[in-house]
Amino acid sequence: MTELTPQPLNPDRYKTLVVILTVITTVITAVVAGLNADASIRASLSNRDSQQYAILAEGELQRVSLQSAYDMNIFTGYLLDAQTSTIMSLTANQETNAQVVADSELQSILAQARADAAQKFSIFFTDPRYVTKTQGGLPNMQAYLNNFAATAKDLVIKQNAAADNYNRWNRKGDSYTSVLAILAISLFLFGLAQALSPRLRLIFAFFGLSALVAAGLSAVLIVVG
Amino acid sequence: MNKSQWVNSPRLDIVIAALIAIVSTSFALVAWRINMVSSNAGSADRQGIIDGIKKQAFTNENWRQLYTEASAVENYAVYLADIKAMEASQDPTVLAQAANLRQYMLPNLLLLATPLATDPIYQNADGTYDLQKRFDSLEAANLDLRDLDPHASFTLAGCYFSEQRWLTVVTVVLATSLFWLALAEISGKRIRLATMVIGVVVYGVGSAGFIISELIFFFLRGGVL
Repeated sequence: MTELTPQPLNPDRYKTLVVILTVITTVITAVVAGLNADASIRASLSNRDSQQYAILAEGELQRVSLQSAYDMNIFTGYLLDAQTSTIMSLTANQETNAQVVADSELQSILAQARADAAQKFSIFFTDPRYVTKTQGGLPNMQAYLNNFAATAKDLVIKQNAAADNYNRWNRKGDSYTSVLAILAISLFLFGLAQALSPRLRLIFAFFGLSALVAAGLSAVLIVVG
Repeated sequence: MNKSQWVNSPRLDIVIAALIAIVSTSFALVAWRINMVSSNAGSADRQGIIDGIKKQAFTNENWRQLYTEASAVENYAVYLADIKAMEASQDPTVLAQAANLRQYMLPNLLLLATPLATDPIYQNADGTYDLQKRFDSLEAANLDLRDLDPHASFTLAGCYFSEQRWLTVVTVVLATSLFWLALAEISGKRIRLATMVIGVVVYGVGSAGFIISELIFFFLRGGVL
């Protein structure tokens, strides 16, 4: 009968397992790095789009401010002359002094001529969207206000959407960086495991695997979210 | 030396180690190229934004000039109508005033409204002026503006970003190749040759992907690396 002697523990035990885990972690790291690069590209493109839309919106706002100043100047000039003409005409009718009547009539004619000339240049009398529907009524100013900033508003909406997109992809990129940090810890633990005794190797491999699983799940959540 | 002997010989270990070194070097090369492409994409994007800002500044200036001219031309038209109404009067004083205004005032007003009021290409049949045509002329006349093309820079940046994405995929493929080669290094006698071949094939796919990506995007950019 032979006595059973305890077998010495193989010092290379679990090494193959740790190497496989290390290689798997490397591949996952490459994939996450790829996703991070993609998120970074998308963030860059959205950032660029938001800047471009901001420039266009600024330009459009400047253009509409110039246009509205031009439109309003003509319109107020027209109103001033049209009312002057009416008042001078009334004055001519009220007065009895022949000179005053003649002067007032002349002033009325001149003011009416100026008003008629300005009317041709006014968007409020030439554009069917704003032309008054009633005799002597005011133009549709509300339609003008709605239309004149429509393009700028549209550009600002696009700019906001692009900025939101940028924030979204930037956040994803940041999250992938955190996952990469966890994967680096996992790689460190696997590397340490290789240098330790078999029992400790298994413990470190387990911690490394836990970090790997956590990183993998986080990566999936980031991709889906 | 038959196949079984060759698989078991230390030569295969050296071959696998050499392959791992080659794949690692290739990985580093692709990572360097990704960095270059990313940097070029960022530069093209930045150039596009700068060109966009410059272009918008020129366009803003053109709008300002257009509405300055438009206001001047409207002012001229109103004064002209005023003078014409004065000329219709029977009063010799008014006629004398009208003659002087026509001789001294109108030419100055016309000067301010030039070329919108003087160039027949901008005149509409109803006596108004084609502001859009004048704006297009201002845009076309600006040589600096003509040379600025932010969209060309954005397209170039987009091309670089697309290449970056494909090269990132190549790095994942190369990482997978490393996985198989590392597996060949540690695996048992029976499967190491097979895993090495898989690693080599995957490396071949990755390398081909790298070369094809480089060639396609090189030609897409018109011969720019």
